[in-house]
Amino acid sequence: MEQYYNKLMECVLEGEEEEAVEITRAEIEGGTDPLDIVQKCLVPILDDVGDKFSKLEIFLPDLIMSADVAKAVKDEIRAHLLSSSNGSESSGKVVIGTVQGDVHDIGKNIVATLLEVNGYEVIDLGNDVAPYTFIETAKREKVDIIALSSLLTTSMPYMVDVLKTLDGLGIRDQYKVIVGGGPVSAEWAESIGADGYSNDANEAVELCRKMMAERKAG
Amino acid sequence: MKSHTRLLTVLDRMDNGPVMEEKDFDKLISKTVRGLIKKYSLKYDRSEAIITDDDLADRFFEAGLELACTTGVYCTDTHTQMIFSKEEILQALRWAPDALTIGSGLDQCTIVTRRPEDPVVPKIVGGGFGAPIPEEWFSAVMESYAKEPVIDSIVGCNFFTTHGRTPKTRSPWEVLLAWREVELIKSAAQRAGRPGISIGVVENAVSEIGELSGSSYGGFPQCDWHHTCFVSELKTNYGLLIKVAHLVKTGCIIHSFYNPILGGYAGGAEGVAICAVAGIIMECVVNMATTFSICPTHPFYNCDTAPELIWAVSAAQQAVNRNTHLLTTVMTSPVSGPMTESLLYECATMATAATVSGTARIDGVRSAVGVEILHVTGLEARFNGEIAHAAAGVSRKDANEMIKEFQKHYVPYLDKRPIGKSFLEAYDPVKVEPTQEWLDMYGKVKDEVGRIGLKMKY
Repeated sequence: MEQYYNKLMECVLEGEEEEAVEITRAEIEGGTDPLDIVQKCLVPILDDVGDKFSKLEIFLPDLIMSADVAKAVKDEIRAHLLSSSNGSESSGKVVIGTVQGDVHDIGKNIVATLLEVNGYEVIDLGNDVAPYTFIETAKREKVDIIALSSLLTTSMPYMVDVLKTLDGLGIRDQYKVIVGGGPVSAEWAESIGADGYSNDANEAVELCRKMMAERKAG
Repeated sequence: MKSHTRLLTVLDRMDNGPVMEEKDFDKLISKTVRGLIKKYSLKYDRSEAIITDDDLADRFFEAGLELACTTGVYCTDTHTQMIFSKEEILQALRWAPDALTIGSGLDQCTIVTRRPEDPVVPKIVGGGFGAPIPEEWFSAVMESYAKEPVIDSIVGCNFFTTHGRTPKTRSPWEVLLAWREVELIKSAAQRAGRPGISIGVVENAVSEIGELSGSSYGGFPQCDWHHTCFVSELKTNYGLLIKVAHLVKTGCIIHSFYNPILGGYAGGAEGVAICAVAGIIMECVVNMATTFSICPTHPFYNCDTAPELIWAVSAAQQAVNRNTHLLTTVMTSPVSGPMTESLLYECATMATAATVSGTARIDGVRSAVGVEILHVTGLEARFNGEIAHAAAGVSRKDANEMIKEFQKHYVPYLDKRPIGKSFLEAYDPVKVEPTQEWLDMYGKVKDEVGRIGLKMKY
């Protein structure tokens, strides 16, 4: 796993998509749990890349290049996960996106993928999403959960805007709102009135399961 | 106007340029900038506040010109690259004005080309540059700028409310915003005794709607300066080009701004400087502007006073002011707000850096990066102007050492967001006079700036 981690880090920093996919496929075929690859390799590597950007040691084009590699790896993992899951009825409907001003979407993509493989219907709005776009989509698509991601502190206030606008429209109680991303914390989530926070993709799935149980109960 | 004759060529290039995906244009900018940094040996030197080397400045100009020729400007509505040949670009630069008279009657003034270390005093613009202001205080805030004699021209703030309502851009409200700006900014100028002072307009025109309405009959005249811009990096769109077409056809003065983003597709300080040079050049070609502003932006602090950006501004301004006669302007956009000493040191830094780099007009101050309600006052704009007057004729070498000292007083606070106090606390808002506390702070920093070595004239 350590050897794979180091190779994957090199691929992410150098923008080597094909090689990253090849070594990931080999790692899975060698018996490593795909979810371990996500949690123990991909997520820490992307955290490191995000940290480098926050110190301006790398710039946006480097970040995008890293994201492209990570997306290719994630697609490979997703293919393996989907092939081993059964297609039962939807566990719930989630609209997910990275909030306005932030173009980081890898963490969000991983959450979206894991939600999909766990039976959720996911509407992924991508990145740099305006607050009202989340709400319009939630209304139109009749979703259960609005999931907001941010990797930049400067974008986190847009999460507040989503909640304030839902309040203003008198529809706050129609949706569960969950938040996550690098600088987001449980304290922050509580302070802005979000319904939940997750530290990683697996927690996000558990959180959504809990939210759906609450909705069905209540 | 002889520099306004390219409109049809510009629109032809908009329609018929090479088609490209926007993300591919972004990559092209990034790749080209990185190549030019290597080709011209451009390297940000953290140990210096500004550049002091003519050869380095000239290499930045060559790099910026090459970027302009290579990428052109991208139109996000037609998905085309608007490409111009080097000869066409040089021709546009050749016929751009080297002097501009703005305003009317006794309040007219003339902006002229300056060179690095030029003893000619730059012209001064004062205003909040889009800072949000409730309409009941808009006129008083604007009067606080217009009444300062060191200020030659003023520029508006944005309405937080209008007619008691919360306005929306790109809606009929934008028309009302533009006309509220006409009404209240002109009354402020009148009360200050400067009815003909030139105004930067239409500040509340986020889209073309406000500009077209606010510069129509009875609105802002041709001798005010009318804004358009590029979007980062090196992009335009129908809305911005509609403004250009309207301003050309109505004979208005065009002021164009462009704000490259540190850490974005431009990359680091060197890349920001290259993009700024290319942006100014292409604003001359595409937007047919007469004055050209840059306000590069920090990705986390949103200011232009971070050390990397001060260095980049000095590089870009020296590059353009040594190699063209364009009328350049630089805006001070600090993190700090009124009634903080750090605000005044941010002003001292940017106004000194720009003035010794040959900038023709010094603009500001968008205090607290223009996002805090009512956190702007005329006093910091007075100080910004007084610094520029004092710095005219100072050598870049001396300015470099002074700026290093100024920066010690605010750089540690950049991530703290010291937004200070509002206009209502910093001024007597009815008499439109600064409070004694704010005046004392201003006096203290002036003394310290003098002790550091910048001899204030007033």
